[in-house]
Amino acid sequence: MSVILECKSLTKKFGSTTALFNVNLSLERGKIIGLLGPNGSGKTTLIKIINGLLVPDTGSIKIAGMNPGVESKKIVSYLPEKTYLPDWMKVSEAISFFKDFYGDFEEKRAYDMLHRLNLDPTKRLKTLSKGTKEKVQLILVMSRRANLYCLDEPIGGVDPAARDYILNTIITNYDENATVIISTHLIADIENVLDEVVFIKEGSLVLHAPVDEIREKEGKSIDSLFREVFRC
Amino acid sequence: MLAKLTKHELYATGRIFLPLYSIMLLLSLINRGFSSIGELSSPFKTLKGFMVAAYVISIVATLVITFVIIILRFYKNLMSDEGYLMFTLPVKPSQLINAKLIVSFLWNILSIFVVATSLFIILGTSKNLEMFRGLLDLAVTGLKSTFGSSYPILIAEYIIMIFVGTIYQILMIYVSIAIGHLLNEHKVIGSFAAYIAINTIIQMLVSIIVLIWTNLELSIFTYTPYYGTTETITGNNVNYSVSIVQAITKQIIPFSIIFSVLCCVAFYLVTNYIFKKKLNLN
Repeated sequence: MSVILECKSLTKKFGSTTALFNVNLSLERGKIIGLLGPNGSGKTTLIKIINGLLVPDTGSIKIAGMNPGVESKKIVSYLPEKTYLPDWMKVSEAISFFKDFYGDFEEKRAYDMLHRLNLDPTKRLKTLSKGTKEKVQLILVMSRRANLYCLDEPIGGVDPAARDYILNTIITNYDENATVIISTHLIADIENVLDEVVFIKEGSLVLHAPVDEIREKEGKSIDSLFREVFRC
Repeated sequence: MLAKLTKHELYATGRIFLPLYSIMLLLSLINRGFSSIGELSSPFKTLKGFMVAAYVISIVATLVITFVIIILRFYKNLMSDEGYLMFTLPVKPSQLINAKLIVSFLWNILSIFVVATSLFIILGTSKNLEMFRGLLDLAVTGLKSTFGSSYPILIAEYIIMIFVGTIYQILMIYVSIAIGHLLNEHKVIGSFAAYIAINTIIQMLVSIIVLIWTNLELSIFTYTPYYGTTETITGNNVNYSVSIVQAITKQIIPFSIIFSVLCCVAFYLVTNYIFKKKLNLN
């Protein structure tokens, strides 16, 4: 299996606070990976570095062998924790925007998903609720045929029913060659779909292991292991 | 990709500017209509007064909003949450700046044309046009007599200066916002502070350069026969004033243009550097 993401001694500081410290991480293709950690542990910082929104202070990061840049952005599909679409746009306009810029975007897939979730593409984004906007964003991101998906808190703002649909969407929408990174603290909800987990604590990597191995060795769920590792 | 970015930028800004321009042109047509009717009964007089006020407001609004939109688009689309979308597109940061710059420049120039058109609609009676032509002739004659054959150069220089000046203003706003955005908090205040600081530094630089230059020039004026155009010169005083006039086309405006271009390059490079290496979205 080839490597899709390779981080070597990645460090990022913001003033006096260290957001990431000496992170070494190698992720393979074809996996769904949970990036788990409490608030402020550095999950978002890592995802922002993968997407070129932050530049690490030291260390290197390679996406499919490339430094973050125009070429890597073509194969990474990123869902930030923000509502990042211009709110004056109609849903259909947001779709055209993605279609224009991303060669791997599949318009039909996006419209199918909108239809399934009963979302009206002629609506303006500003008229939609926060949860609905998040659904639209996730649909856009998952309608790309990317190599790496970075989903930062993709299920935080939506109701449990939609949560199931969204997770299902994620599982069924990526192909064998692609890897999905899901950052969240709602572990119980996504535990079943994960192949691997990465635990991150105060900017440092504390665990990277396949879910099955953890269940076998530790004899407990990821959720309870998380509560143990990150006990306050 | 630049073409696509520019297209989307035009679309995003056009939805504000085009209605604005249409309203202004419509108001100028209405006002032209009123003024051609002649004597009006009193309710119409009130309406006319109202329309004149609306027209004036629309002109001011167009000029102010053009400026405000340039700032807001850059700030909102690149530095706020929308930045997460824009900076993860498969484009270079410089392309993001270029697209914004091109479109801002275009609206700036277009707003001047639209205001001119609307004035033409309101004031363009045959009598006024004749007067306008007369004034234009007068201006050209004046320019000719002062600048001699070099007056077309002066006009060309002036037009270039307007274009460069517009780009200068836009890029200065961009670099200020980018610098303010380096702060973790108070980014907007930081942007204002950066704008004021840059302005002050440039004013100081210009003063220093002018001071040095005029000292040099004065010595030249005093000791050597400068700019040997003698055709219209009869005495020392005239010689001096002709030299000053010549200095405008040959030195002052070209210097302003070159200086502004250099500032533009600096603003651009700093903005691009911040976007590439120091991006700090909230």
